Amino acid sequence: MSEYVLEMKGITKRFPGVTALDQVNFKLKAGEIHALMGENGAGKSTFIKVITGVHKPDEGDIYLNGEKVEFSSPIDAQEVGIAAIYQHVTNYPDLSVTENIFMGHEKVQKLTGRIRWKEMHEEARKILRSLSSSIDPKAEMGSLSVAQQQIVEIAKAISTHARIIIMDEPTAALTSRESEELYKIAESLRDRGASIVFISHRFEDMYRLASQVTVLRDAKYIGSWGIDEISNDALIVAMVGREINQVFPDRNGELGEKLLHVEGLSKAGYFADISFTLRKGEILGLTGLVGAGRTEVCQALFGIMPYDKGTIELKGQKVRIQSPKEAIKLGIGYLPEDRQLQGLVLQWSIGRNITLSALKKFDAKGWLNEKKEHAFTKNLAEKMHVKANSIFDLVSSLSGGNQQKVAVAKLLTAQLDVIILDEPTKGVDVGAKTAIYEIINDLAAQGYGIILVSSEMLEVIGMSDRIAVMRAGRITKILDRETVTQEKILEASMADKPKKNVG
Amino acid sequence: MTMTQKAIGQNEYVQRTLKDKQEFSWKKFFLQWEWLLILVFFLVLVINTNLSPFFLNGAGLRDATMIFLDKAFVVFPMVMIMILRDIDISVGSTVALSSVIMATLYNDFSLPMGAALGACLLVGALCGLVNGLLIVKFKELSAVIVTLGTMILYRGIAYIILEDQASGNFPAWFSFFGWGNVGGMPFILIVFSVLAVVFTLLLHKTTFGRQIFAMGNNTTASRFSGVQIDKVKIIVFTLAGVMAAITAIFLTSRMGSTRPNVATMYELDVIAMVALGGISTAGGKGRMIGAIIAVFILGYLQYGLGLINIPSQTMLVITGLLLLAAVGIPKLNVSQKFKRFRRKQLE
Repeated sequence: MSEYVLEMKGITKRFPGVTALDQVNFKLKAGEIHALMGENGAGKSTFIKVITGVHKPDEGDIYLNGEKVEFSSPIDAQEVGIAAIYQHVTNYPDLSVTENIFMGHEKVQKLTGRIRWKEMHEEARKILRSLSSSIDPKAEMGSLSVAQQQIVEIAKAISTHARIIIMDEPTAALTSRESEELYKIAESLRDRGASIVFISHRFEDMYRLASQVTVLRDAKYIGSWGIDEISNDALIVAMVGREINQVFPDRNGELGEKLLHVEGLSKAGYFADISFTLRKGEILGLTGLVGAGRTEVCQALFGIMPYDKGTIELKGQKVRIQSPKEAIKLGIGYLPEDRQLQGLVLQWSIGRNITLSALKKFDAKGWLNEKKEHAFTKNLAEKMHVKANSIFDLVSSLSGGNQQKVAVAKLLTAQLDVIILDEPTKGVDVGAKTAIYEIINDLAAQGYGIILVSSEMLEVIGMSDRIAVMRAGRITKILDRETVTQEKILEASMADKPKKNVG
Repeated sequence: MTMTQKAIGQNEYVQRTLKDKQEFSWKKFFLQWEWLLILVFFLVLVINTNLSPFFLNGAGLRDATMIFLDKAFVVFPMVMIMILRDIDISVGSTVALSSVIMATLYNDFSLPMGAALGACLLVGALCGLVNGLLIVKFKELSAVIVTLGTMILYRGIAYIILEDQASGNFPAWFSFFGWGNVGGMPFILIVFSVLAVVFTLLLHKTTFGRQIFAMGNNTTASRFSGVQIDKVKIIVFTLAGVMAAITAIFLTSRMGSTRPNVATMYELDVIAMVALGGISTAGGKGRMIGAIIAVFILGYLQYGLGLINIPSQTMLVITGLLLLAAVGIPKLNVSQKFKRFRRKQLE
């Protein structure tokens, strides 16, 4: 028998347009807790989906206890004892804990097909007890806390006799006490001989639990180290040390007067004590891990998420923004992260989308001046280099990059001073990215103040004049263009000491 | 098409001139749902004429128009509501409640008829406003459930006020609404035509109408674009209440008296007309003109069937089948092309 319960060699997975995994290797020993680390988009999630049989690799082999296996579906992986607990708990909130644990492998009376409830409840109770949890098996799943739901998910993994358990950012939504409980459970699973693959952005998780760490970067396998063999700094370098392959336009912006000043903005449970200033012509990068509260801050500035405390000053005037309409009227525009759901009306033409946020401009006593509208949208869409035949082409027929150009054009229709761009290059191919960078740069040169939210560090560094880094709802650092490095950003976004939670 | 090549770094992109004139195509023009509706409309006329020699009798046709047009006022706002992906099934009850209150104020509280008419409109507007506020307030509840609640509620209040009695004895001039003619044209038809023009323009030519379509297609994106989605909804539902009150006035005038059970199931007739008119139940698509043609199709169909003594039960069956055919046929893959054009046309 092999030394490794799971061994993966040269795993490559391609999606249309991107290589999500490129020759990735991975070795997991029995009874080991193995941390898998990397930036957002490094390929961790895809890698896990390959292990659990959701994705089939294009190249590479998977060995279980030295034997080559092939998964054609997640069920195959389950049958050989692989279970995954995802970042966002996926369960049936309206069903009982027992039903959630035994979903898909219920205990059924032979012949009659009757579900053996008593036995299942008993078994569920036993597993939960073994995890030193007092959750009632008959309780409704939705009534439990996130931490408790995660324990149920673990119980589910145990009930399927899983030997390899994958945890994808399980502590992301937990308090430090709840995390500690989870660590203990993970250790007890390990002591029973199960192997655990642990994904987390928190260094504290890794140091507390793992004995081995594997790093992925830009879809590639970087290395695997024993936890004592690698220093914190070396690990950060392993995670971010890539070559720069994206050309960013030069920033020669001259900063003007103060446009926006935010002081002590807070919203219980989402963000706290957010303070920054934005000048005319400035690009302020806003980065941090997914879930650090960046989008929530932007949505508060745009009047979508109400805030509890703090002040917003726009051009020296104190304002209170309560709806997107007000925000637009005051001169703040927002490009939402999810352009298909929040940004655009996909079934509509390019022209109609562009004017939606500033219909007033084409409004003469309530009547819509379509002639003026058409001329205006033609002009703007051409300026943005939208690839299409006419302004009547449906937005759903455009590529991601062109859709994004339409969404930006939509912002420019209103009279704005501040433009907030939330992940403007998400799901956009490299060529269109460059075009969008140029547009952003142009806008700054025209005197707009721009807040650029992005998870891509190179993008933030390449584009911004200053960079605010968020972690767990707070701005931990504001870095200058001249002195910023990827390492500094990563350090600020993943402070390794536990901090008090917001709210 | 003029193209200029521009190279930036390694990425080339093409600068295009976008057309800003929609090309006219006869094919597109004729592949519109409304043509099919007009065809069906004439079919109904021809069949009716062959079945009954009395159908094309001018006076009869005019009387028929007076009879089915009263409920058609609610069709206008219902088109907007269904484009918003909502529904309002309380309109029949709103008609009853505003009619009953109008009659009671006139007969039992000796209010002048003019004031009673004003009260009727006010009650209707209030009913619609309550619907709108509830739907906006309880976003997790669907409009069907909210208006099912108010449908029962409004009808119940009407029963409490009038206790299954009839209330009539209106002044003589009040019958003008239901039976009056202006220059040979039924008064109700004139009012209907004016409102048809007003609502068509409101839906298709104003920023307000544009916002309704935006919300029907993507409420979240509309909100992010600064559309005041709650306000639009409340206005549209209030309009439905006002139109129900106008229906109440014409209906009460035509019948000469009212009871708490008037206009029962009106909402279903109205929704049938809107659906037949090609307004997508999935929201975001449809045209006012389609629903207006559908009003006349269903109206004359029922009138014609009545002339040849088809029992009302059979009439229900025929109406139901017609509606199913209308909403079902475009979903069949009989003509992919037709579907595609319809989708492009109706927005």
